[in-house]
Amino acid sequence: MDTLVQQIINGLSLGSVYALIAVGYSLVYSILLFSNFAHGGFLVIGGYICYYTLAALGNNIWLSGLAAMVGAGVIAILVERLAYKPIRERTNVTLYLLIASMGMSIVIENVFVVTVGGRFRALPPVIPTDPVNFFGLATTSAFDLLSLAMAVIFLTALQLFLSKTKWGLAIRAASYDLRTSGLMGVNVNRLISIVFFVAGFLAAVGGIFLSVRYTLYPQLGFITIKAFVAAVIGGLGSLPGAVLGSLILGLAEMLTAGFISSQMRDLVVFGMLVLTLLWRPSGLLGKQVSEKV
Amino acid sequence: MSGYVEGIIILLFINGIAAMGVSLLTGFTGVFTLGHAGYMAIGAYTAAIMTVRFGIHWLPAIVAGGIIAMVLAYLIGVPTLRLMGDYYAIASIGLGESIRLVLENWQSFTRGARGYPGIDNYTTLTVAGAFFVVMALLMFYLIKSNFGRAFKACRDDYIAASLLGFNTARYRVLSLSISAFYCGVAGALMAGFLTFIQPVMFDLNKSTELTAVVVFGGLGSLSGSLIGTAVITLVTELFRPISQYRMLIYGAVMVIIMVARPEGIMGQHELGPRFIRSLFQKKNGPSKALEGSDGL
Repeated sequence: MDTLVQQIINGLSLGSVYALIAVGYSLVYSILLFSNFAHGGFLVIGGYICYYTLAALGNNIWLSGLAAMVGAGVIAILVERLAYKPIRERTNVTLYLLIASMGMSIVIENVFVVTVGGRFRALPPVIPTDPVNFFGLATTSAFDLLSLAMAVIFLTALQLFLSKTKWGLAIRAASYDLRTSGLMGVNVNRLISIVFFVAGFLAAVGGIFLSVRYTLYPQLGFITIKAFVAAVIGGLGSLPGAVLGSLILGLAEMLTAGFISSQMRDLVVFGMLVLTLLWRPSGLLGKQVSEKV
Repeated sequence: MSGYVEGIIILLFINGIAAMGVSLLTGFTGVFTLGHAGYMAIGAYTAAIMTVRFGIHWLPAIVAGGIIAMVLAYLIGVPTLRLMGDYYAIASIGLGESIRLVLENWQSFTRGARGYPGIDNYTTLTVAGAFFVVMALLMFYLIKSNFGRAFKACRDDYIAASLLGFNTARYRVLSLSISAFYCGVAGALMAGFLTFIQPVMFDLNKSTELTAVVVFGGLGSLSGSLIGTAVITLVTELFRPISQYRMLIYGAVMVIIMVARPEGIMGQHELGPRFIRSLFQKKNGPSKALEGSDGL
């Protein structure tokens, strides 16, 4: 019982970090209809900015966290401007965007390998990881509760941004039809920049929590594959779906690690992906995407 | 011929076979993949286990490697390629990693992460060359046949293709199965060439390399993919000392090609008498001269 509650909290906490990543990925997918593989790069950039500003600013997590989020957001905008904008302005073949984003993800990863080296770095102990008694039910780590809380705060903020602001309305319109929303007077280029900024911003939050959990290294971005899988399970392009899929995936992963074997967890993730696609091709909350013939 | 040069030529043949497989799927059918190293791993381990453990002759073992990769690709392709969108791209990464995990953890059968030693050196220059020639001829024939046109139709406009009566989902699955067969055979030949295989040889970097080669050579050009393979295999050999920059350069080249010239070196043209003639006839290059035609 103790272990079960503990693994459930672990799973929800891991799932909430996946949700931060998956939501940004889904947001980009819903507008531009391609899988931005460079999303993992934004996460790593956020992690490294946090690591170096922590050293420079004397372990002030709030300041360096902010720097990491804004920095990753700005770099996400730059990546879009440099690599994707010329392609999407010339053609509507999403395959080209997909390949360019894969290239971008390799570039970001290897820039870190070449400049700062591939070794594992631990963030200084700025985020508490002490054990906490969870209502007498189980002992869990303060870090897990904190990452869960932060994810809830940021996802609520995103929800408010999308539902209450003018740009949020424009983004929701663009996710139905980018071209028509352009014709209705939305500045499409600025809208895409905002979407990439939000995606990079949220990825950096995820990156900071993941680098506390697993330490920081250039290949940490591979973890976004799980966020992608979570987005597919929830329904590609659907934001509530991305959150739901992430929580399910985090739970499944932690329960597998806790009760079966920790080497099996990646296999479980992949198995869930294939089963979801067989059982419900559009994901749990997604639009119908099966090809009509 | 010195052993080193012979080794490089065998490697070129093997990489060429794998590149043809990826070229069919990504270049001609328009399906992005990042898991084809997984099919190579399946082929390599099938051939290794069949020849070493069960003492079967290498020729059926290589073919079996291809067929098992093909069956697996079919099983993955049916649920993911029915859907429009990046489902297969995401599933392919998961598949590649899952195959590697199974190979690493199934100690009793695959000997785990330490690798599988003692494979017969059956991939001689003749064997690799023969496989390459036969498979290249088959692939060129396939591309020029009705199937090839159907694949291209699915890539260029799947709605139009389906209105013409093509079951586009079925063609995508077929294309994936054939491309997995090519990668499986390439993996099996790789096992016989290196005589020692390890799961880590078939990681995400290898998958990326396979796709990068095809992008580099030209989406929709088989000879372009082969030229891309030759260039990248040779460049990799020549620049071994700066190998830590290799992936960085791959990534940058992928982005630059997509931004500047998404059709790659060859575009959609095949290397043939007509392509070469057109190079000399017009100063403004082959892309203008061959507009509207399909090469060859």
